[in-house]
Amino acid sequence: MTDLRLEGLTYRYPAGSVMALREVDLAIGSGQRVAIIGQNGSGKSTLVRHLNGLLRPTSGRVRHDGEDVAHRTVAQLARSVGLVFQDPERQIFSGSVAAEVEFGPRNLGLRGAALQDAVSEALARVGLEAARRTNPYDLGQSGRKLLTLASVLAMRTPVLVLDEPTTGQDRRGTEIVRRVVATASAEGRTVIAISHDMEFVASTFDRVVVLGEGRVVLDGTPAEVFAEGAWEMLRATNLEPPLPALIGARLGVGATPTIEALVGALRA
Amino acid sequence: MVIGGVLGPLLLAGVAVILPALVARVLGRLLRTSLLLSLPIAVSVLVVNLFFYPGGATVLLQLGPITATAEGLAFAVEVLARIMAISGAITLFYLTTPPGELVIDLERRGVSPRLAFVVNASAQTVPAMVERAAAITDAQRARGLDTQGSLWRRIRGVVPLAGPMLLGSLAEVEERTMALEARGFTRPGRRTLLWSPPDRGIERLARWALVASIPALIVLRAMGALG
Amino acid sequence: MLALEHVSYRYAGAPRPSLHEIDVALADGEVLGVVGASGAGKTTLCLVASGLAPRTVGGSLSGRLLLDAGDVAGWPIHRLAGTVAIAFANPATQLSGVTGTVYEEVAFGPMNLGLPRDEIIERCASALEQLAIADLADRHPARLSGGQQQLVALAGMLAMRPRHLVLDEPTAQLDPAGTALVAAALSRLVAGGASILLTEHKTDLLARLCSRVAVLDGGRVAFEGPAVVVLSDPRLAELGVTPPAADRLRQAASEADLAAATLQRVDEALAG
Repeated sequence: MTDLRLEGLTYRYPAGSVMALREVDLAIGSGQRVAIIGQNGSGKSTLVRHLNGLLRPTSGRVRHDGEDVAHRTVAQLARSVGLVFQDPERQIFSGSVAAEVEFGPRNLGLRGAALQDAVSEALARVGLEAARRTNPYDLGQSGRKLLTLASVLAMRTPVLVLDEPTTGQDRRGTEIVRRVVATASAEGRTVIAISHDMEFVASTFDRVVVLGEGRVVLDGTPAEVFAEGAWEMLRATNLEPPLPALIGARLGVGATPTIEALVGALRA
Repeated sequence: MVIGGVLGPLLLAGVAVILPALVARVLGRLLRTSLLLSLPIAVSVLVVNLFFYPGGATVLLQLGPITATAEGLAFAVEVLARIMAISGAITLFYLTTPPGELVIDLERRGVSPRLAFVVNASAQTVPAMVERAAAITDAQRARGLDTQGSLWRRIRGVVPLAGPMLLGSLAEVEERTMALEARGFTRPGRRTLLWSPPDRGIERLARWALVASIPALIVLRAMGALG
Repeated sequence: MLALEHVSYRYAGAPRPSLHEIDVALADGEVLGVVGASGAGKTTLCLVASGLAPRTVGGSLSGRLLLDAGDVAGWPIHRLAGTVAIAFANPATQLSGVTGTVYEEVAFGPMNLGLPRDEIIERCASALEQLAIADLADRHPARLSGGQQQLVALAGMLAMRPRHLVLDEPTAQLDPAGTALVAAALSRLVAGGASILLTEHKTDLLARLCSRVAVLDGGRVAFEGPAVVVLSDPRLAELGVTPPAADRLRQAASEADLAAATLQRVDEALAG
C-alpha cells in the first residue's frame, strides 16, 4: 500500500500572485481515512491535485512510499492515486454506465475478464449494477455522481481521493458514499476526502486536516478538531462545527463530534 | 480607370480616417496597427509592380534580368494609397467601436434582440469553455488518460476530452434555455435598452456626408478631376 | 395564490409520469418546503409550478396550474415570467452570459419585458438592496463565487416582481459560506412576506425558513403539514429524506433510554 508524504509543499498558480499552498507538511499513512476541510480558496483542491501529479510543487516534495514522484507522469501515478472530481458533467463521455466505468481500468491495462470483474465490483459498490446499459444522462444527478465514483473505484488504486463526494447527494447517495469509504478502508486503502459536510466528515473519517489560506491550521481526530478549544480557529476559517459538538459542549460532556458520541457521553 | 491617382485616396484617408482618429485620440495606435496590417500586401504590391509593371519604360534600377521602372513605382504608390485608406478605415472602426456598443446600437436600430444575444454570448463563452476544458483534461488524466504519449495515444484521447465538452455543453443548454425563458427572453417585440451609445448631430452629419461623397467622388474620377 | 390541481406530468419520451395527481397549494406570504429522495419529482414540481413544464420542456400535463388569475394553461411562458420566477441549483447556468456587470444582469429580465427605463432602474435598485448586494453592482457576474452568483440570480428574479418564487435546491452546489449567504437572503425575503416554494435536501435550512413542508415520493405527495411536524416525522428516513440534525439528535437521545432530566437538558441546549 502507499504512504503519502508532502514536504514543505508550496504552490503558486502560474497566473496567480497568491500562494495557494504554503510550506505544507503532511504525512498520510497507508490505510488512513482523512478528511480535508477548509473554506473555498484554502487550498484543498490544490493540495489533492499534487497527490497524483496534476500539479507539481513550486517548491517542496511529494513522496509516495518515500520516493519523490516528481519524475513520474500523471498516467503512471493514476495507478496509485485515484482522484474523483466533483463535477460529473466534466468527465462523462460514454453511452452507457458500464462503458464509462471501463475507461479508467482500461487505461491501466486491464482487459477481458479482469476488466469486467473490476467494473462489476465497482458498479455493485455504488448500487448501479442494474443500470449497466443505461445512458449516464438518463441517470439523475445523484446517479451520475455515483458513476464517477465507480469509474475511479474500478481502478482499484491503493489511495482513493474524493472531491466533495456528498455535495448535491440525497440520503441514499450519501449512505452509499459512506459504505464505499468504509469498504475501501477495510481493504487497507487510504481514503482522502475533501468535504464541507461536517457531519459526514465527523462520522466517516478518523482524521481531519483543516486548511486555512494554504496552511494546515488543525490536524487531529474529529473529536479533537471539533472540540470547543478549536472552535475559534475553525470559525476564523469560516467553518462551523457539527451540531453534536456544539450541544455536547453546551452540556459539558466533552468533545462529541457525532450524534453517537454525544448520546454515548450522555449515557455515561 | 479604377486605379488612378493618389489624390483621391489620400483625400479620403485624410478626411475619413486621419481626422476622426485625431479627434478620437487613437492616431498613434491607428498608424501603427494599420501599417502592420497592410505590411504583407504592401510589400508584395510594391515588389510586383516595381519590377513587373507592363509598359514600364523609365528604368530606375537593373537587377540582372529584372528591371525596376518608374511607371511601376508610380502605379504601386497609387495602389498602396488605396490599401492604406482601406486598412486605416478598418483599423479606425476596430479601435473606436467596442463590440458590445455596436451590438446595442444595432439592436436599437431594429436588429433582433436574439441575434444581439447570440453575438454577446459567444464572446463570454470562451473563458468558460477554456476553464471547462482544463477541468475535463484533469479528470480524464486522473483516470489514466495519457496525454503525453505517442501521437496514436493522443488521438485516442480525443473522444474522452471532446466528449464531455460537447455533452456537458448540451446538457447545460436546457437549463440555460429555461432560465432565459423564465426571464421573459422569448417575449416578442423589442426590449427596453437601458443605454445606447450617444449619437450626436455632428456625427450623424459626418456619416451622411461621407455616404454622399461616394457618388461625388465617382463622378469626379470619371471627369478626370482627380488625376 | 399558486396551486397545482390534480397535476400529472410526463416528460416527452418518458415511459412513466414523473408526477401523479399532485395537489399542492402555496398561499400568499407562505413558504412551502418540498423534500424527497432524488427522482421523487421535486424538480419536476418546480418546473410545472413555474410553467416551464410543459411550455419550454415539452411533455404532457394533465390537471391545472392555477395562479391568482385562474387557470393559466393558455399563457405563453413570457407572460408567466412576471408572475412566477424560478431559480435552480447551478449558479452559473442561470446567468444570461451576455452581461458585463451584476447591475445589467439584474436588469436583464425587466429589459426583456419591455418596461420603461425608469421602472427598470427602480426595480434593479430595489432588488439589489433587498438582497444586500448593492456593493456587487459593478462586478462581472462570471467572476463571483457560487453563493454570490446565486444571489445575483435571485436579484434577477426579484426584479421581475413575481408574486411567487420557486427555488429548486438553490444551495445544493454551494459551500457553507454560500449556503449561509443564500439562507440569510431568503430569511430577509420571508420576513418581507414573499411566497416561496423551496425544494432542498438540507432539511435544517427548511426547518428555519418554512411554515409548511410537503414530502414527495415517487411523484406523489406522501404527506404534508406544518414544518415542525413533518420534519420530525419518523417516516422521513425511509422516504430518502435526512431529517434535520436537531431532530435526529432528539430521536437518538430518546431511543437511548436516557433519563428524562437528561432529555430535558438536550432540548434546552438545542433551543439555546
